[in-house]
Amino acid sequence: MEGTEKQRSTVRIYLDILKAAEEEGNAKPTRILQKANLPHDRMMRHVSELIKRGLLNEVNNGESRFYVITPKGQNFVKEVRRAESFLSAFGVSL
Amino acid sequence: MVNAFFLPNSLLSLIGGLVALAVSYFAHRYGRVAGGSFLRILSLGFMLLGIGLIAQASAFLFFFLDAGKISDRGVFVYGGTIIYLVLQSIAYLLIAVSYARRMQTGAVTAATAGVVVLLQNSPFLIHTYLLEFGELVLATLVALIVFQALLVYEDNKNRLSLMVLGAFSAILVAHLAKLSSSVLASGLLYLIGGIIELGGFGLLLLFVLRSGPDGRN
Repeated sequence: MEGTEKQRSTVRIYLDILKAAEEEGNAKPTRILQKANLPHDRMMRHVSELIKRGLLNEVNNGESRFYVITPKGQNFVKEVRRAESFLSAFGVSL
Repeated sequence: MVNAFFLPNSLLSLIGGLVALAVSYFAHRYGRVAGGSFLRILSLGFMLLGIGLIAQASAFLFFFLDAGKISDRGVFVYGGTIIYLVLQSIAYLLIAVSYARRMQTGAVTAATAGVVVLLQNSPFLIHTYLLEFGELVLATLVALIVFQALLVYEDNKNRLSLMVLGAFSAILVAHLAKLSSSVLASGLLYLIGGIIELGGFGLLLLFVLRSGPDGRN
């Protein structure tokens, strides 16, 4: 279900953003944009929600801004992957 | 002889019930993360299935511990059987409906609804052949689930889907064995059905364990 943006659920978008942050370590907004394949305004809305939930941290070192996944975010990614695996057995995707 | 029948069946139903509750717990837990109604309905279905099996195990255990002392066994058997059959029927109906909704297969949904109509309009059958009729309804509902699980496996060739298909196929064979045991009045066949059913729940447990730790499929 990763085809069109319309078909992607919010959980899937959260997963894509968090995975991008996890893979990059310190992920710049442009990298998240590329990996999550989202327009900037929508990405920022989802990133704000993830920060509010304590799944992602914003780090600003003066010159640049980047995002880091929190331990709670790492647990969330694991749990969503498990849910995805469980759902796949019934032919359902996130 | 009576005890030899009730104790093993009680244990089989109890283990099966606990596995069904474990599946319900994981469906609920993942439903909180993933959202949507599919996992909520699935969780409710497995919860009722688990409670139904544990109720059945309790009834068997009650007979085992109190064999020969119960004054009105008929009422107890009738009540216990109704609780077990109704809970399991609702449980399998929910699981079948959640599958059917996911696949949007109108024919399967209609067939599932047909089973309910049949139940509502067959008071004579229900009253006279309660256990046989109940097992037939359960076997029909589980057959619907097996058919849908087969379609899912055909689509994705996923190992976890194969486990779910195998589990419900074993449960279907178990209900057919239990139905045959009623018709042939064979306690041994009922016990064999219980063992096959436990095998099915064992596969469901394996599925939960394989899908859980690292999300493999």
